[in-house]
Amino acid sequence: MLSQEKSQPVPVESNKKTLIGTVGYHILGNHSMPPMLYSHLQELDLPVHVKVDELNWGPVAVVQMFQAEDPPFEKVIILCAVERSGRKIGQIDVFKWLGTLPDEEQIQACVGDAATGVISVENLLVIGEYFKVWKDEVYLVDVEPGPEIAGEDWTKDMQDAIPAIISTIKRLAITGVDDQMHLKFLQGNTIFKEESILK
Amino acid sequence: MCFKNLPVAFDENGKAYLKEDIANPYEYKVVDLGLEQDKLKSLMEKNGFIRSVDYDPVTRVAGALAFHSVVDLKQGKVLSTNSMATLFRGYEIILKGRDPRDAAYISSRACGVCGGVHATTSALAIEMALGIKPPPLGIVMRNILLAIEYLYDHPLHLFLLAGPDYSEELVAATNPEMIPKAAKAKCKNKAVHGYDTILDIMKDLNPLKGQLYLEALTMTRVAREAYVQIGGKYPHPQSVVPGGISVTVTMSTLNEVYSRLIKFFDYGQKTTGIWDDVFDFFLEHDERYNQCGVRPATMADTGVWDRPDYYDGTFENCDKWGNARWSTPGVLVDGEVVTTNLSELNAGLEEFVEHSYYEKWDEHKYKTDAKGYPLSPNHPWNKDTIPKPGKQSWRDRYSWDTCPTWDRMPMEAGAYSRMYLTAKAKVAPKSQYLENTGHSMKINVPKYNLPAAELEWKIPEHWNAFERNRARAYCIPYSAMVALENWQLAQQLIRNGETAVSTPYEIPKTGTHIGFGAWGAGRGFLTHHLIVEKGLIQNYQIITPSTLNAAPRAPWGAPGPYEEAVLNTPILEKYDKPEDYKGIDILRAIRSFDPCMPCTTHIMAKDSDHVVTREVTTCACGIE
Repeated sequence: MLSQEKSQPVPVESNKKTLIGTVGYHILGNHSMPPMLYSHLQELDLPVHVKVDELNWGPVAVVQMFQAEDPPFEKVIILCAVERSGRKIGQIDVFKWLGTLPDEEQIQACVGDAATGVISVENLLVIGEYFKVWKDEVYLVDVEPGPEIAGEDWTKDMQDAIPAIISTIKRLAITGVDDQMHLKFLQGNTIFKEESILK
Repeated sequence: MCFKNLPVAFDENGKAYLKEDIANPYEYKVVDLGLEQDKLKSLMEKNGFIRSVDYDPVTRVAGALAFHSVVDLKQGKVLSTNSMATLFRGYEIILKGRDPRDAAYISSRACGVCGGVHATTSALAIEMALGIKPPPLGIVMRNILLAIEYLYDHPLHLFLLAGPDYSEELVAATNPEMIPKAAKAKCKNKAVHGYDTILDIMKDLNPLKGQLYLEALTMTRVAREAYVQIGGKYPHPQSVVPGGISVTVTMSTLNEVYSRLIKFFDYGQKTTGIWDDVFDFFLEHDERYNQCGVRPATMADTGVWDRPDYYDGTFENCDKWGNARWSTPGVLVDGEVVTTNLSELNAGLEEFVEHSYYEKWDEHKYKTDAKGYPLSPNHPWNKDTIPKPGKQSWRDRYSWDTCPTWDRMPMEAGAYSRMYLTAKAKVAPKSQYLENTGHSMKINVPKYNLPAAELEWKIPEHWNAFERNRARAYCIPYSAMVALENWQLAQQLIRNGETAVSTPYEIPKTGTHIGFGAWGAGRGFLTHHLIVEKGLIQNYQIITPSTLNAAPRAPWGAPGPYEEAVLNTPILEKYDKPEDYKGIDILRAIRSFDPCMPCTTHIMAKDSDHVVTREVTTCACGIE
C-alpha cells in the first residue's frame, strides 16, 4: 500500500527540534490511518533533529515526556484523522494551533478522559497547552476519515491520499509552512464547539 | 451453606447438589418495570410536570455510560434511577474462534487503565483450562505488576477524578456553608501530611491547580515507570503470558522497581491521613452524608496476589490457592462473609439480560462444574453473547450492560471489596506487613522520609460514598506493602537461582478445556470465563467490576449497585434556584464506585425544566 519515498536533497528551514506524532485508535478503518502510518513515518529519511513517535499513550504521560525533554521540541507535527463536516474523505488540512484554553471545567474533563485512556487529539492539545509544553509551533495534519467503520482497511480515497499526507508532513518538518498549505487554525477555547475551525 | 436463593444444597459431606423436586429450579420472576414508570409518571403529574431544558456545561459528551435520575428537589429525594451502558464493546464476540493465546493481548484492550489486569486474568483462565503452573518468580512478578497498577490507579481516582468533588471550588459552589467551618476545622493528621486545616486540604484538592492534584499526576508517573520495568509498556503490557511473564528479571530490574515503590510508603501514609481528615469532617458536619451512596455491604471479590507456594492454576485446588491469596476472594452479604471459596464464587454467578440489549440464549450445556457444583443456565460458561440493539426504554431494555448476580443478588465490586473481605474473613496467611483482625486491616508501613507507622483501616458502620473512597485510600499502602513483600520474595528467588519466569505449554488441538481467570482490576472483581474446543476459543465471557456496578435492574426488579446507591442518596446540596442545582451528591455517590468508563450522568430535576449533565469520567474499561 505504501511506497518508500526516495530521499531528495531539500532545503532545511532550520534545525528546530521537531516531533512528528501520530494520534488515533487502532482498527477503526480510516480513523486508524495515523497509528497505522506510524511505522512508515519512522522509516522516512528525516534529519536527525526530527523524531517520530506515537502519541497514543495518554496526554498526561505525553506531557510528562515533553517536560523531561531537554532541550524541548520547538516544533510538533501531529498526524490525526478527525471527522469534520464538509470535507471529502482523504482531504488534508493543516491546522496551526493558536493556543488559548477552554474553561477549567472543560480542561478537567480532558484530564479525566486522558487519565483513563481515552485517545483524543483535542485532549492532547488542550492538556499540552495547560501544562505549557507546546513551544513555538504545533501543527495538525488532519486527514478526513469519513464515518467510523470497524476494521483494518482504508477506503481508496484514504489510500490515494497517503503520498500527499507524507509529503505534507515532510515539508512541514523540514522546510516549514509553504504557500501550498493553506493553513487553518485551531484554538483551545473553541476546539470543542461545532464551528471549531478558524479560517 | 452459602446459597440462600439458588436451588443448591449440600449433603453431609459438603458436596453440593441441585435441590430435587423443583420443576424449574432456575426459574425466576420477571417484573414489569412499566408499573414503576407508571407510578412515577402519576406522581409527577400530581406535582406538576417535568419539562426538560438542557443545562449542559459539557459540550462534548464522550460517555459509554449514562445515568438517569429523577430528583424531587423540594423533598431532597431521588425518585428513580437507571444506569445505562450506551456502548457495545463486543470483546466476547471478537475472541470467539481465535487462538487462546490471542486473548491476553485482545482482552487487554478492554480498558485504557486496567489492560494488564485483563491480560493477567486471561492468562489465569488459560492456565486453569490447560493445567499450566507458572514458576514462583513468574507468580511473584505478576503480583508486583498488579500492585503497581493499583498504585497508578488509586491516586488517579482519589485526586484527579473524585478529589475535585471535595475541593474548595466545588464545595464553595454546592455547600458554601461548609467553607467557614472547614477553615476552622483542624486536621488530626497534620504530622503526616502537613495541612493545618481542612480548608487547606480542600484548596489543594482543587482541580488542575491544587498541589495534591498535581502531586497525584506525578505519582502516576512514578507508578508507570515501575510498571514498565516488568510489563514493558503501559497500559497494555507485552510481557504477561499464560504460564508467567516473558521478561528476564534480574536484581537490576528489582532495584529499578524498588526505587519507585519506596515513594509510595510515605505517599500511602499521607493519602490515608488526608482522606481520613476530609471524610471525618464531612460526616461530622452533617450525619446525613452517611446516606450518600449508601447500600448494604453486599459485594463480591475475586481476591488477588497468589502465593507461589500455593498457586497451581488448577480448578481442583482453587479454593486452597484462592484462600492463600494476599487478598481473599469471596462474597459479603450485608457485611457478613458467606464464602471465601473461589469455586463457590464461581458457581453462584449468573448473568441476566432481560433489561439489556441482548437475546436470551437457550443452551444449558454445562450443568455442573468439575467439582459437581450445579451451574445455572445463566452461568458465564453457559452464556452466549447475542447482541440485540433496540429502542431505549425504562420499561423494558435500557443498557448494553448485563445484570450479573451471585446467588441472585446484585453484587458491588471495588478496590475496597478486596480490603473488606480480607479484613473480615481473616483467612489470608500471615503477612509481614498486614494483619487482618476481623474488624480492620492493620498495615505496617516502613520508614522512608516519614517514620514507620501502623495504619488501620476499620470496617465502617455505613457503607457509603465516603467510606468507599476512604477504603480506596487505604488500598494504596495495602498494595504497596503487598508489592514490598513480593519484592522481597523475588529477591530471595533470584538469590536461590530460581530465575525461571514462565512455563512452556502448548495449546491442545483436541478436546474441550474449561477455565476461569479471577483477578482484580483497580475497581475490583474481574473474571474471564473460557472454553477452548479443538484448540480455539469456543466461548469467552468477561465480567468487569463495572458490569457488576453499572448493572440495570435484575429481572425481578432489584436495582443494580449504582441505581441502589443513588436512590438512597439525600440531596444536601444548597442552591437558590433549581437551575443552579449541580447534582454533587449524586455525582459523589456514583464516582465513589470509580465507575469504569467515561460515564455521563443525566439528572432530571422534578418540576424544574432542568437536566444536569455531568461527566463522571474514570477509566474506559468496558462492559461487554
